[in-house]
Amino acid sequence: MHLTKIQLITAAGALGLVLVVLDLVRRRRLSEEYSLLWVISTLVVAVLGFSPSILTAVTRALGIRYESSLVFFAGVAFGVVMLLYVSVRMSRLAQDTQAVVRELALLRLALEEQQDGSRRGVPRGEPA
Amino acid sequence: MSAGRILVIIPARDESASLPRTLREIRARASGLDLLVVDDGSRDGTSDAARAERVPVLRHVVNLGVGAALQTGIRYALERGYDVAVQLDADGQHDPAFLDALTAPVLAGECDVAIGSRYVTRTAYRAPLSRRLGMLLFSGVVRLLLGQRISDTTSGFRAYNRAAMAACQQDLPRDFPDAPFLIALARRGLRLREVAVEMRERTAGESFYTVGKALYYPYKNLLASLMAWLKRPA
Repeated sequence: MHLTKIQLITAAGALGLVLVVLDLVRRRRLSEEYSLLWVISTLVVAVLGFSPSILTAVTRALGIRYESSLVFFAGVAFGVVMLLYVSVRMSRLAQDTQAVVRELALLRLALEEQQDGSRRGVPRGEPA
Repeated sequence: MSAGRILVIIPARDESASLPRTLREIRARASGLDLLVVDDGSRDGTSDAARAERVPVLRHVVNLGVGAALQTGIRYALERGYDVAVQLDADGQHDPAFLDALTAPVLAGECDVAIGSRYVTRTAYRAPLSRRLGMLLFSGVVRLLLGQRISDTTSGFRAYNRAAMAACQQDLPRDFPDAPFLIALARRGLRLREVAVEMRERTAGESFYTVGKALYYPYKNLLASLMAWLKRPA
């Protein structure tokens, strides 16, 4: 039932992070979509850090010896989830990039052919 | 050359040194085909080299990978109504003299994809040991998963009919269009066939298969092969 120094620091750090995340959203540097995971998880860490009774109860229920271990565990678990999520999004982004670059290449050639055709009266690169 | 419009797609990345010769050789040895260069984000004027030979160029503004470049070329072939799309390397490895042999079974409707293979019959080609081990491995993977013998899964000399081209829009991985890609095509019910061809040493440029990829390649393609096999065709 005691708030250790490390718990206080963790909680304060988590709250600070929430503020940073919200500020990033305000300045449109971070989309709301990505902010959600950050806000929820940091708030959870903050609540656990500030409220020893909840922390102790959850720690006991999970059979963990030290309260601070739970806080760290939650942090690491969140890190893993976030990284996986970002990896998935990056793969998706790579697919999107590919589609855009392909479309651009096809359009560019079509445009060149059109310009060439209007200049010379015959389409170039057009299959015979 | 038989009836049926054929497009030869040449994916190229930083191949300005060997590309003009390859293009001229194709024109000299095989008539009645259209050419297309897909410049995959080159920084050495590959596009200009192709345009100088009056070959249409599709240019990726950033490098995407050889599979992605091939897919772009095949998209073009589909949109312009070609009956057969041939994939051929820019580096001069593939002898255009074999274009007829490669496209014939596809044009005749005997298969959907023809793979120009240096191992169907004994040819002069000698690959480095690591490469040969890899080919043996993936040839085994394909045989295990498909029950079909494809001795040269990494061959970049292939011909596709329109059914195969359509499948390419779904199944082509952006990096290596090798074993997993062939497995995916076969799982769609497309018929693959190997055609014996001679391959030469590359004249210039760098192989897509570099040292850095040597470690990633087996991992990626074993995993992707399995995934391609597990996936039920839509």
